[in-house]
Amino acid sequence: MVEEKEITVNIKKYDGKNDPYWKTYKVRADRYTQMTEVLRRIKTEQDPALAYRASCHMAVCGSCAMKINGFPRLACRTMAFDVMDENNEINLEAMDYYKGIRDLIPDIDTFYDRMYKVMPRLYADESVIAGENEQRMTPSEQKEVWKFQECIWCGLCVSACPSVRMDEKFLGPAAHAKGYRFIADGRDTKTEERINILMDSAWRCTSCYMCYEVCPQDVQPVIAIKKTKSYLNEYKGNTEVTEMARKHDDTVFDLINNTGKIKESTLYLKTFGFGEAIKDINYMRKEGKLKYALAKDNDVKNIDEIKKIMGDKK
Amino acid sequence: MEKKEYDAVILGGGLAGLMAANTVAEHGFTVAVVSKVFPTRSHSAAAEGGIAAYIKGNSDPNDDPDFMSYDEVKGGDYLVDQNAAELLSQKSGEIINLLDLWGAPFNRQPDGRIALRYFGGQTYPRTRFVADKTGMALLHTLFEHASGFNNIDFYPEYYVLDIVKNGNNVNGLVAMQMKNMDPIYLKARALLIASGGLGMIYKHTTNSYINTGDGYGIALRSGVPLKDPEFVQFHPTGLYPSDILISEAARAEGGILKNNKGERFMAKYAPHKFDLAPRDIVSRSMTIEMREGRGFEGGYLGLDLTHLGKEYIMDRLSLAYDAAKTFAGVDATEEMIPVRPAQHYFMGGIDVDITGANSDLNGLFAAGEAACVSVHGANRLGSNSLLETLVYGRETGNTMVEFLKNHKNVEASDGTDKILDNAYKYIKRENGEHFGTLLNELRDIMWENVGIFRDKNKLEDAVRSIKKLKERSLNMYVTDKTTNYNTEVFNALETRNMIDVSLAIASAALNRTETRGAHFRDDFPERDDTNWMKHTLAYLADNDIEIKYKPVIVTKWKPEPRVY
Repeated sequence: MVEEKEITVNIKKYDGKNDPYWKTYKVRADRYTQMTEVLRRIKTEQDPALAYRASCHMAVCGSCAMKINGFPRLACRTMAFDVMDENNEINLEAMDYYKGIRDLIPDIDTFYDRMYKVMPRLYADESVIAGENEQRMTPSEQKEVWKFQECIWCGLCVSACPSVRMDEKFLGPAAHAKGYRFIADGRDTKTEERINILMDSAWRCTSCYMCYEVCPQDVQPVIAIKKTKSYLNEYKGNTEVTEMARKHDDTVFDLINNTGKIKESTLYLKTFGFGEAIKDINYMRKEGKLKYALAKDNDVKNIDEIKKIMGDKK
Repeated sequence: MEKKEYDAVILGGGLAGLMAANTVAEHGFTVAVVSKVFPTRSHSAAAEGGIAAYIKGNSDPNDDPDFMSYDEVKGGDYLVDQNAAELLSQKSGEIINLLDLWGAPFNRQPDGRIALRYFGGQTYPRTRFVADKTGMALLHTLFEHASGFNNIDFYPEYYVLDIVKNGNNVNGLVAMQMKNMDPIYLKARALLIASGGLGMIYKHTTNSYINTGDGYGIALRSGVPLKDPEFVQFHPTGLYPSDILISEAARAEGGILKNNKGERFMAKYAPHKFDLAPRDIVSRSMTIEMREGRGFEGGYLGLDLTHLGKEYIMDRLSLAYDAAKTFAGVDATEEMIPVRPAQHYFMGGIDVDITGANSDLNGLFAAGEAACVSVHGANRLGSNSLLETLVYGRETGNTMVEFLKNHKNVEASDGTDKILDNAYKYIKRENGEHFGTLLNELRDIMWENVGIFRDKNKLEDAVRSIKKLKERSLNMYVTDKTTNYNTEVFNALETRNMIDVSLAIASAALNRTETRGAHFRDDFPERDDTNWMKHTLAYLADNDIEIKYKPVIVTKWKPEPRVY
C-alpha cells in the first residue's frame, strides 16, 4: 500500500467584497496526489463552496494556475508531497497581479487582451490559400515554432513578471512568445507588421528570467524576446526605447570589436547617456555597488582574431 | 433577463465547436460560442497522439481512403455507418491541409512534408501529429483563427442551462455568466451542441474535470435521443494511480505492455497486431491479466519504453515521459510506466445524421464527441476523434449555413423563465443532499457495474441505483447562496446532467444482449449480427429510458469476424 498522510491545506478565501482570509482544511493524500485532486477532495467532501478552476489535470489546458507556497505554479503539475513543509502544510492563493474574483479564481481577461494584441494567427501566402502552392516546413523550423507554440495561456508568466507591473507598454512574456512563434514560421506573411508590434515592447523586458522560471511548459518566453530583439535591424520604426536599443546594439558591437569584451559601464553610458548615468551612479553609491561599475577591466590579447570574426558578422 | 440574438449559437469551444464556428462565420453569419471554460481550456487540448489522415501524395503508396474506411468499420465492430466512415476518410487529407494553412505546426519529414506514424488498428500508418500534444496544438490553432473573425462572439465561462424551443424549432439557449450568475438568453435559429464527453461519470477517467456530459443532459431533457450510449471506451494506458492518459503513441512508437512475469501478454490476445490492437481489445486483455493475478500489486501493468532509447523518447514521447515522471515518479527511460485502463471516450452521443443534423428538433445540430454520427460504431480507433471533430465540425458547419439560408427567424418563445427556475431551485432549497455525495456514488456505480466487463446483474443493479440517485437529486441543494462565481451551483447542475446520461448508458447496456466492440457482456460474449446490427436510440421519459432503434448503414463491407 502507498503510505497516506494527513496534510493541512491553507487556502486564501476571498468573496469579492471583504478582505481575504485564510481557511484551513485537513485532507488525506499520498505521494501520487496532485494538488488539483486535493482541491477536488476538499470541494466534494468538505467545502462545496470553494472556488477554483481546473480542467485537464495534465498540464495542457492552463486552468489551474495559482500560487502554491507563494510560488506561481499549475496545481495539477504539483504533487502535494513535493510542496508540503515539515508540518505537512501547504498554502494556496490566487495568482498575483490579476484582479481577484473569488477564492483561487482571478480575472485574467487582461492576459487574453495581451495575446490578442500580437495578431496571434497565421496569415498564409495568397497563392497557398488559392491552392496553387503547398506549404513546407523543415523539421528544425517546426521545432522552433513548436517550442513557443507550446504556451497554454495559463497566465503564470504575466503574474510573475516585474516589467508587466512597472511598464504598461510591455506586452508581457506570453504575448512575446506567441508573437515570435509567427515570426519564426516561414509560412507566415506578416513578419514586418509583427516586428512593428513587438520590437519596442521586446526592449522593455529586463531579462530577469522570472517567466523562464515559472513557465510550466518550459516555453522560455524570455528567449523569444531575445530572438525578437535580434530583428532590430529590420525594424523601420523609431521609438524612445528602440533608439536606445540601437545605441545598445552598436555599442556592444564596437566594444567587442575594439576590446574583445562587453564593458558594462561604457555600454551603460552610451546606451542611456550621461544624465541618466549620473542619477544611477548616485543610486549605486548609496547602495554600495559603485565599486563594481568602476572595476578595471583588461583588454583581451589576441584582438585581431576577434576583429576578424566580428568583421565576418558585419 | 438579458437577451442577444445571433444566427447560430454553438455550445462548446473545443475543436468541433470552433471548426463549425469558423465555417459558419466564413459565410457571413453571426455566431456565439458559449462554453463553461475559456476555449483553450477545452478537453480537445488533452488529445495527445495525433490525427489520422490519408493525404494524397503524402501517405503510404499502398494506402487508399477505402482501406482507411475499412479500418474504421472493422475497428468499430460493424456498428459504423459506412457512408459516414467513407466521408471521414475522404475528407481527412483536405482537413489536414486546411489546418496547415491556418498554422498548425505538424511534425515534419526531412523534405518538409507532414510526418506520419502508425496508430492502433491502422493497416497503414496515417497518424499526423504535433509531438504528443496534437490536440492542444490544433485547439490553439483553431481558436487563434476564430479570434480573427468579427462575427464570432465568445462567451467563455458561461454555463448553459437548457435549450429554448418554439414548438419543434430550436430557438437558442439560456446560459448563466459564471462570475456573476447573470442569466442570458442567446436567441438563435441554429444551435450546435459540441460540448464534448462525459468521463467524470466514471471513477477512473482520463478526461478533464469539465467533462460532465452537459450537452447530453441538455439534449435528453429536450426530448432528443442519445444514439448508442452503451458504447464507452476504456483506454488501455491510464497512468497508475492518477488516470492521466499515456498516449497510444507510446505503443505506436514501440512501447510494449508487460505483466508481472515480464511477458508481452498481448501476443496471446492479438497475435498479429499485438499491443496495437484496438483499444477495447487491449483494455479487456489487460483486465483479464490482472484478474488472473498477473498484474502488479495495487492493480496495474507495465508499459515498457526502455528499449526505445532516451533521445527517441524525449523527441517523440515527451509528454508521456513527463507525465510518468511528474505524476508517478517513474523515469520511463529506465523503468516501466505503471498503467491500467480508464474511461476515455464516449462513442455514443446526440443522434445526428451524416450532415450533423438531428431529426427530432428543427435547427439542432451536434458534432464531435457530443454527437454520434456513427463513424466510430462500437469502438473508436486512436487518432480518429480529432479527425472527427474537424471533418464533421466542418460538415456540420456547412449544413448549418444551408439551414440558415433557408430558415428565417423563429418567433419569440416563452419558457426561458422556467429554465431558470429549474436551475434556481437548488439554490432556493435550504437543506437536502450535496452534489458531492451523489456524484461520488454515481462514479462508483458506473465504474463497478457499467465498466469494461458487464452482465445482467451488474447492469440491473446500476439502473436501479441510478434511478434512486435521480430521485435523491431532486433534493440536491447548494450551501453557497452568493452570486459571486458560485461554482457549487454549476457542480449541482453538472450532477443533474451526469445522472441523466448515466441512466441512458446503463439502460442501453442492459438492453443490448450481445458483445460488440467496447460493450462486453460476460453473459452474452458473442456478437449477434442477426438481432443487434442496429443502433440504439435512448430517450429520457420522466424517470425512465425509452429505447428505439435505427438501422446501421452498410455500403461496402459485410460483417466478418474481428481478428487482430
